[in-house]
Amino acid sequence: MKNRLKALRADRDWTQADLADRLHVTRQTINAIEKGKYDPSLPLAFKIAAVFGMPIEEIFSPDTK
Amino acid sequence: MSNTRSHTSPQADLKKSTVKLFLAVAAWVGSTALMSFGPSAFWDFDTAITFLAIVANLILGVLMLYSFFRHLKNMDELQRQTHLEAMALTLGITMVLTVIYGALPQAKVVASAQPANVLFVIGMSYILSVITLWLRRTRE
Repeated sequence: MKNRLKALRADRDWTQADLADRLHVTRQTINAIEKGKYDPSLPLAFKIAAVFGMPIEEIFSPDTK
Repeated sequence: MSNTRSHTSPQADLKKSTVKLFLAVAAWVGSTALMSFGPSAFWDFDTAITFLAIVANLILGVLMLYSFFRHLKNMDELQRQTHLEAMALTLGITMVLTVIYGALPQAKVVASAQPANVLFVIGMSYILSVITLWLRRTRE
């Protein structure tokens, strides 16, 4: 799954640690999601969408390789 | 959907559950040592005291399992998935190696199979699996 987490975070001038605090996860989890090494659960994806105030599909998209 | 019973931060909860897990494991290891060496070292093979030591070990074992599940619940989802995958790997590795190890006495390669060696394999497989899986996902 692809995501725009890094770009959205950069737009808001948040560090990985800032976003991790908002989502109650570790910074390593944010890093793994941004690098595509880990796909978040649906509850976490909803939390991410809520933090950025956007629909999930504008943040995550299927990896069509 | 998320853990709603806590009023402190997830990191603080995880630290607390780590300390509790450490204490539970230490108590279980201590009671295991007492159960194993107590009969010969302390109470001269008194069956009633040995029975009490076994019951104490069983109770502390259950408490250790409970602490471990609480600890898993306090992890964030990547940490939890890493540990669950490590457990699956550990189960597979232990099963394969235990079958081989169990066949060695019959083949007269070793005199007898010791359960402690299997526990060592379980512990090492779990630790190495957690480290490997965590580094694979989180390396910068």
